[in-house]
Amino acid sequence: MSESIDLTVDFAGLKAANPVFTASGTCGYCNELADFMDLSRLGGFITKSITPEARRGNPTPRIVETDSGMLNAIGLANVGVDLFIKEKLPAIAQMNTLVFVNLAGQTMEEYVAVAEKLSLRKEVAGFELNISCPNVKEGGITFGTDPAQIEQITSRVKNAVGGKVLMVKLTPSVTDITATARAAVNGGADALSLVNTFPAMVIDIETRRPILANRSGGLSGPAIKPIAIYLVHRVFTEVAGPGHIPIMGMGGIRTASDALEFLLAGATAVAVGTATFAQPDCAIRIIQGMEEHCRRKGISSIRNLIGGLQ
Amino acid sequence: MALRRLFTATVYRNCQIRPGYWRADLDLDSSGCEAFSEVQPGQFAELRVSDISLPPAQEVPANLRDLAQRNIILRRPFSFCDVHAGPKGIRIGVLYCVLGPATVRMMSLARGDQVSLIGPLGKGYTVSPEKKYALLLAGGMGAPPLMHLGEYIRARYPEVTPIAFLGARSLEHLPYDVHIDNEKGAYAAEYDRIGVESHIATDDGSIGFRGFVTQCVEQWLKEQAIQPEEAGLYSCGPEVMLAATVALADKYGIACQVSMERMMACGIGLCQSCVVATKGKGETGPYKLCCMDGPVFDGKDVVFE
Repeated sequence: MSESIDLTVDFAGLKAANPVFTASGTCGYCNELADFMDLSRLGGFITKSITPEARRGNPTPRIVETDSGMLNAIGLANVGVDLFIKEKLPAIAQMNTLVFVNLAGQTMEEYVAVAEKLSLRKEVAGFELNISCPNVKEGGITFGTDPAQIEQITSRVKNAVGGKVLMVKLTPSVTDITATARAAVNGGADALSLVNTFPAMVIDIETRRPILANRSGGLSGPAIKPIAIYLVHRVFTEVAGPGHIPIMGMGGIRTASDALEFLLAGATAVAVGTATFAQPDCAIRIIQGMEEHCRRKGISSIRNLIGGLQ
Repeated sequence: MALRRLFTATVYRNCQIRPGYWRADLDLDSSGCEAFSEVQPGQFAELRVSDISLPPAQEVPANLRDLAQRNIILRRPFSFCDVHAGPKGIRIGVLYCVLGPATVRMMSLARGDQVSLIGPLGKGYTVSPEKKYALLLAGGMGAPPLMHLGEYIRARYPEVTPIAFLGARSLEHLPYDVHIDNEKGAYAAEYDRIGVESHIATDDGSIGFRGFVTQCVEQWLKEQAIQPEEAGLYSCGPEVMLAATVALADKYGIACQVSMERMMACGIGLCQSCVVATKGKGETGPYKLCCMDGPVFDGKDVVFE
């Protein structure tokens, strides 16, 4: 039996068993993946977006595959916060991992309303503020691209989360991601997650129409990984800094080496998204692969790799 | 929830059955056999295609050479035309039409190759044992799960007579070997083999009944003077055909189940992309997931958009 590797990380004061989370919108509400993995082995779990009222979402087709990626335009379909509390939280209580609830809404008041209802629930470790979805009413994606609005909403939601960790999810669709990252930090964010999907389109050349009913959607998957790593690196070096604001890196992670690239770029933890659709136990395989990498390289703690880019 | 697993299967055989239509038979590993021990017709599995290589260029159909170059990342959902338990385990048959980058890759599967599957998934058909006739309505590539259902009914419900009505645009769009008999008319050999009477309908009349499969069934219902409670309709095919099936079922007061198709990223309830509109209070009824609540739905619950 070889020496065990310390995979634990401190994420904004929360102790995660390892740096690997499952990303919002790709792992369900709670135990949907339980047939395929032991959820307690995850570093953490981020629920799909929860809004104050149930949302039906967009018509179909809602997804389309593209080279090395996929587009989605689900439209924040979800059961709403009350049904989430009633039907999903009991299962979350049994998951034995860090659970972040992804908050969404059409107005600032809606985000605050969902946060308040969940702020006292011990099953919830923290929140991810989704201000980077194209479905937000306040000028759509410009809501998450305007530093002033980001600072304001972060501050208001921070006051509503009852001391729980608040992570702000950034869109990559900005000229300078350090400006939006800085706005979130100024608003009181405990952590940053990046990146959300890229607005994109796929066209059917036979019908000459976009394939998605919503016409455009968010691009995810391996296609976006190098861009996401670049953005994580910029935010880490220019805003978050070592030992300051932790980053949850995401975008096209499919293998352990993908995840390790994000850590080296400055992410404290990573979230696996689209890859889970194709391989439901992908996150667990990544954890195993990280451990093997550390063993091979003689690294005693995964924390030694964070921000280790030379 | 019924058992479902991520497991490996070994290709036993993969061959073209008609131009453009192929069939792969897969032997499931022990985990797959356990999961499939109580599989229902109409359920499906997600097949990992991304690591199957392209066939040699000369074997790729000319009209797909451009499209075939695309990379695959997601799995593809397939129902089964056949599920057989033998002494060495369970073998499933997957019938597929070669029409894109995923199915082009599947052409290159060879005996002994291993493929990854997730299944069985979703809800299949529920057989009504009290009905004398199970009318199986297949449109084009809606055929596979109904072949499985026909055989399933023959094996488990001797008091129910399955009769297949198989439609397509024309002869070349039928994924079966069609034979013509002086007495029986046009029939599918695969259904004959499992002891199920079959009728063929083509839109252009190139073989069998000229017209839609729903018109073919309606003629049969009239000729046989079938009472509503005597028959159940089990349907799979293009959505326009399913809508026509539900309208027919409604007209004759016959119970009807339809298998819906949607683009899906995962097949296991994560991505929320495969929604089917269902009837409920108000103008817009609730969306249900094709992968979890379906793919088989009660025909009267579905809103065809």
